[in-house]
Amino acid sequence: MTPNNPPSPAEAPLRPHSFDGIQEYDKRLPNWWLLTFYGAIVFGIVCWLRTQHFAGPDDAAQLRAELARIEAAKFASVSSLDDATLWKMSRNPVVVASGRATFSTTCVGCHLASLRGKDENPQAIGVNLTDQIWIHGGRPMEINSTINTGVPAKGMPTWGPILGPKKITELVAYVLSYHQEGEPVIAAPSTAPAVPAPVAGTPK
Amino acid sequence: MSERKITIEYNDRIVRQFMLASIFWGAVGMLVGVVVASQLNFWQLNFKTAWLTFGRLRPLHTNAVIFAFVGNMMFAGVYYSTQRLVKARLASDILSRIHFWGWQLIIVAAAITLPLGLTRGKEYAELIWPINLAVAVIWVIFAINFFWTLARRHEPSLYVAIWFYIATIITVAMLYIVNHLSIPTSFTHSYPLFGGVQDALVQWWYGHNAVAFFLTTPILGIMYYFVPKAAERPVYSYRLSVIHFWSLVFVYIWAGPHHLLNTALPGWLQMLGMTFSLMLWAPSWGGMLNGLLTLRGAWHKLRTDPVLKFFAAGVTFYGMATFEGPLLAIKSVNALAHYTDWIIAHVHAGTLGWNGFMAAGMFYWLAPRLWNKPLYSQALANLHFWIGLTGILLYVAAMWTSGITQGLMLNATTENGTVLAYPNFLDTLNSIRPMMLMRVVGGGLYLAGWLMLAYNIFRTVRGAQPVNGTVEVFVVETKAEERLGFRGTFFNPPVVFSILGTIFACTWLFGNDFLKLVGLFGTAFWVLLAWAHFEGRNRQWGVWYDRLLVSALPFTVLTLLAVVAGGMIQIIPTVVVNRAENVEDRRQIPYTPLELAGRDLYIREGCYLCHSQMIRTLVPDVLRYGDYSRLGESIYDHPFQWGSKRNGPDLARVGGKYPDVWHYRHLEDPRSISAGSNMPCFPWLITQSTDVAALPSKISVQRMLGVPYPAWTPAEIQSRVDTQAKEVTQRLRADGVYIAPDREIVALIAYLQKLGKYESIAPKGPVAP
Repeated sequence: MTPNNPPSPAEAPLRPHSFDGIQEYDKRLPNWWLLTFYGAIVFGIVCWLRTQHFAGPDDAAQLRAELARIEAAKFASVSSLDDATLWKMSRNPVVVASGRATFSTTCVGCHLASLRGKDENPQAIGVNLTDQIWIHGGRPMEINSTINTGVPAKGMPTWGPILGPKKITELVAYVLSYHQEGEPVIAAPSTAPAVPAPVAGTPK
Repeated sequence: MSERKITIEYNDRIVRQFMLASIFWGAVGMLVGVVVASQLNFWQLNFKTAWLTFGRLRPLHTNAVIFAFVGNMMFAGVYYSTQRLVKARLASDILSRIHFWGWQLIIVAAAITLPLGLTRGKEYAELIWPINLAVAVIWVIFAINFFWTLARRHEPSLYVAIWFYIATIITVAMLYIVNHLSIPTSFTHSYPLFGGVQDALVQWWYGHNAVAFFLTTPILGIMYYFVPKAAERPVYSYRLSVIHFWSLVFVYIWAGPHHLLNTALPGWLQMLGMTFSLMLWAPSWGGMLNGLLTLRGAWHKLRTDPVLKFFAAGVTFYGMATFEGPLLAIKSVNALAHYTDWIIAHVHAGTLGWNGFMAAGMFYWLAPRLWNKPLYSQALANLHFWIGLTGILLYVAAMWTSGITQGLMLNATTENGTVLAYPNFLDTLNSIRPMMLMRVVGGGLYLAGWLMLAYNIFRTVRGAQPVNGTVEVFVVETKAEERLGFRGTFFNPPVVFSILGTIFACTWLFGNDFLKLVGLFGTAFWVLLAWAHFEGRNRQWGVWYDRLLVSALPFTVLTLLAVVAGGMIQIIPTVVVNRAENVEDRRQIPYTPLELAGRDLYIREGCYLCHSQMIRTLVPDVLRYGDYSRLGESIYDHPFQWGSKRNGPDLARVGGKYPDVWHYRHLEDPRSISAGSNMPCFPWLITQSTDVAALPSKISVQRMLGVPYPAWTPAEIQSRVDTQAKEVTQRLRADGVYIAPDREIVALIAYLQKLGKYESIAPKGPVAP
């Protein structure tokens, strides 16, 4: 900075006109300023394209997903399991998704991806899990214990030691997600299956 | 060509009046500011007196500093500089006088009505409808006086300061009128035409652009006159003036929705608000550059000259605030900063730094010239500068710290992100108390500086002889062919390219799949073509612009077009689409008559100034306050009460959370329930009785506005009020509180217990669980 040293007139052209003694240079716009300006416009356009054209989940959907994750994390710390908690878990998309993942590797062999087992394909080994007929009890805790201890006599393995409690509750939640709380539970006699039970189902 | 020489005496009397008024109201507004800031620290300073309570004084503070302090300062600066820039005396002495006295009367009316609790319940638009009408009339008088002066100008070409004044006058008129559209229910009360999300959008279109066109553009105009004058240096760059003026007025209008980020506002509007705020950064800095770089070659004068000190600091604060603004408009930053003191820091950097310092610089420069006497004390003015600067820095630093601290605490979670780290709102309040106290100190210093200015000016003016400036001009007939006619205004490259570009950009914004692409490529095509044309023929563009500058009316029309676009594109779809019958998911249940009366009390006491009713789509908000707010849940709220600041917790779902007696005790003495609270006591709600007589006309206006009330007779309304009030009092009695059912607190409790009640609707798709 050089005090008392006005720039020489040759430095920049002054506009010819003066307003009440005020004159104006006509300097070029600084490059960094132009860059900021254009940069912000380009950023705006990209932002708009990203959010409005290739729309992902909106704010509310993202929020719901995050809240589901939090709820699922809270279930993990629940020590005593009961029917109500399992029903709640069955409505949580994060838990249900984990259950589906386990189901699709472990259970589809017998119960099929549709969960409808024999009702979809008489050749299938497992029973239908989407109807209201339950052989070993249809309350969430009963389903939980059926998976845990299995029904070896009928080919349902004992999953407890293999999958661990967390995965099993997720499975219960996944199965329950095909059901409504309060719907009738019809007990079926354990002898119901007309098909002679294959004695030792080999799960994987 | 016949030329004659005449001498013009400027109307500087009106400038002196506005200047002194601004100094006086500035002191009043800042004093009220210090008082309300102290009330946040010491609840006792509310004195358990209705008209001294925070909720009533805070609107007085904001209205006083915006409309009384900056308003009068702006009128002084505009009138002084315009007369000289166009070489003409103000067109009408009578209009000038009506403008001055009318404006002061409005201020006095505001200072009386706001503490009385007469309010419309919308920020910076609180004044009741008769005063709104007066403001509109006085503003039109200002406009007539200004444009008439332009019509009589002896300087054919319009200087950049005048451009900004034109933009100010037409835009403020537009914003003010639309945001104040309301239907009166009595002489002192009205309901706004818009409700819910529409009202929110209109309010922040207005609120944001009140900052833009009341606190920014006129002051930029003032900067363009007074800074080169005081520095005795040419303005840095004319072409920067052109670019930043047009980009500023066009872009500013779009940015309003950044006040509503992460709320129930539709996503596309939030995205527009955010991106346009970012685009606003460079245009704003264009103004700062032109101000600061004009000082090149004059920096050495800053050592001694208080005027230039104030201007340099003021423009710097403008640059700082306009960088901070876009930053805060980024959705993720906003998630932290919104509703906290960070926003308070931001606005005060703008108002204290930019508006206040530009005002001070201008007054110190004007006083010796208007009274023909040197300033009483340069030393005192320099002291004012340093004490004011210290005040601002303390204030802003305190509020930054406070806002970020509270924002982080409110959003903090623990245990793997599943639980709030500070579930008690009061914990966050109490940890920022030292900062809130420092803010009072900073504000106090700033006020002290202002009082020095008042004293300095008083000593300068006392005994001095007012003088009016004069100028000798040659009367030259403007050549008619230089001015633009209709064709010349619209059919020229810059305007055609701008209009076509905007039309295609809108097609891109709103079109379906095919039109979207047409719009996108069309916009790109026109932008490239405009670029190419400009590169080849920029002389032609320059010549056209020179002709535009001698044509005041075409200039005004084009400015109007530039500022109208953004508002129309954002507001019209919202008004048409987001109506009660269209909202998905949830719809508000209309208030019962008693609840409506309670709601008007909530507005009267200014509860919305500290409590939001909007749970954002953010995890910490939902963990703290409950399920996020839906559009439909406030669709019948005239005015909307989403709020903009959380000095206390959100109330959107407070209904049913606590028993009636909790609210009773809490309103009577908040600390009996929440130890450490800074909320005022509201004892008068227990003694005053609810104005049931006003309800029939209120409800009939609500019906007119589309709220589905049946056609009740006054007697039916009365009996509904009685029934519900009795229920509330019986519940209170069961908890040991005996209160007559006609008391205001009963209505307010009924309203608070209603908050968050909705009906689920599922017009299409699967039933919501």
